[in-house]
Amino acid sequence: MVAGFGLSAAATHAAQAPSPTAAGGASTSSATPADDQAASELKEHHRHHHHGGVTKFIAMSLDTLGTDDSKRPQVEKLQSDLHTQMAPAREAEKSLQLVLADGMTAGAVDAGKVDAAIARLTTAADAAHGASLDTLNKLHAILSPPERAALVDKVQAHWEVWRQVNQEELPDGRERGGQLAELTEEAKLTPNQVTKISAALHTAMAGLSGKFDPKKGEAHVHAFSTAFAGDSFDAKAVTSNANGHLASRGATRMALFYETVTPLLTPEQRTKIAAGLREHAAYQPAPSAK
Amino acid sequence: MNRSLVTILTGVVVVSCLAAAPARAGINIQIFPPALFRATTTPVYYEGHAAYWYGSRWHYRDARGGWQTYNQEPRYLRDYRAQHEPQRHYYGRDSEHRH
Repeated sequence: MVAGFGLSAAATHAAQAPSPTAAGGASTSSATPADDQAASELKEHHRHHHHGGVTKFIAMSLDTLGTDDSKRPQVEKLQSDLHTQMAPAREAEKSLQLVLADGMTAGAVDAGKVDAAIARLTTAADAAHGASLDTLNKLHAILSPPERAALVDKVQAHWEVWRQVNQEELPDGRERGGQLAELTEEAKLTPNQVTKISAALHTAMAGLSGKFDPKKGEAHVHAFSTAFAGDSFDAKAVTSNANGHLASRGATRMALFYETVTPLLTPEQRTKIAAGLREHAAYQPAPSAK
Repeated sequence: MNRSLVTILTGVVVVSCLAAAPARAGINIQIFPPALFRATTTPVYYEGHAAYWYGSRWHYRDARGGWQTYNQEPRYLRDYRAQHEPQRHYYGRDSEHRH
């Protein structure tokens, strides 16, 4: 279950507006999902788009940073630059999604083509880190300290969501908001299909958990966050690079999911799911910094 | 009992305990904006912080990264909220840019 409310206990204080009350303590996730449409769509996005790792989290964070109007054109330009630097990885990801869509339509996914596409995606995502260093330095220079802090918080939020949907979420789980539940709704799965697919995913994904080390992602996010929040920043000093690791993990899990469910769907269902994959393949980010 | 029902019941018990115990101890439960919300919502900058309207309160992170909540809504934020719709970003397939 993905990201619930942050909960923390705090001593009761007399209201003294506008001074803030001290709540203290960091938020923790709980069992209640923030299940609105924007949240649901973000989860689906992070299940299907892995072409930049932490660099992508940074670019996405600019979608909702809320910079003032005077610097918005500059921020949009830098966001566009980040997308350009991730473009080779995005093309590799597009190839992978089209291979999966073709396989879904045909009734069987070509594992060799999938592996080759994931390898290209991993290499390209890894390279996006080095390609983005100058852009990140420019971004730091034009943002105010509160905007930098907000950006860091958003990067950490994207990392948390990505980790939950690509690592922590049970692939065979039927919880509301989970990937199987989404597939059930989109393909109108029968209860019998849900049972078979859940069992098949449980078996197929069993060997995947040991192949991902979240500490690498954590190290990259932490190194970026610590450095970017400071008054001076040199992106070259952020030597952690988990972009390829995250891309490989996310893409592998995505591919394994569709490879596993393909033979258990009807032709009509496969056509519908393949269309959804082609829509993801058509994704082309554009500057949207607000 | 299936797994979904167990999950739901467990959540109910946990939330009940979280809510009841602090109340007996004379403390409040503060609800802060979760990652899914912060990643899709544009904040409002006030007093040097990015503030989020969530759960009918304004929340922000302090310099140490802990969450703080305004007990009473500051006039600036109240006026802002009255004049602006919440800005959410949608990443759905229908919302993405395509070429």
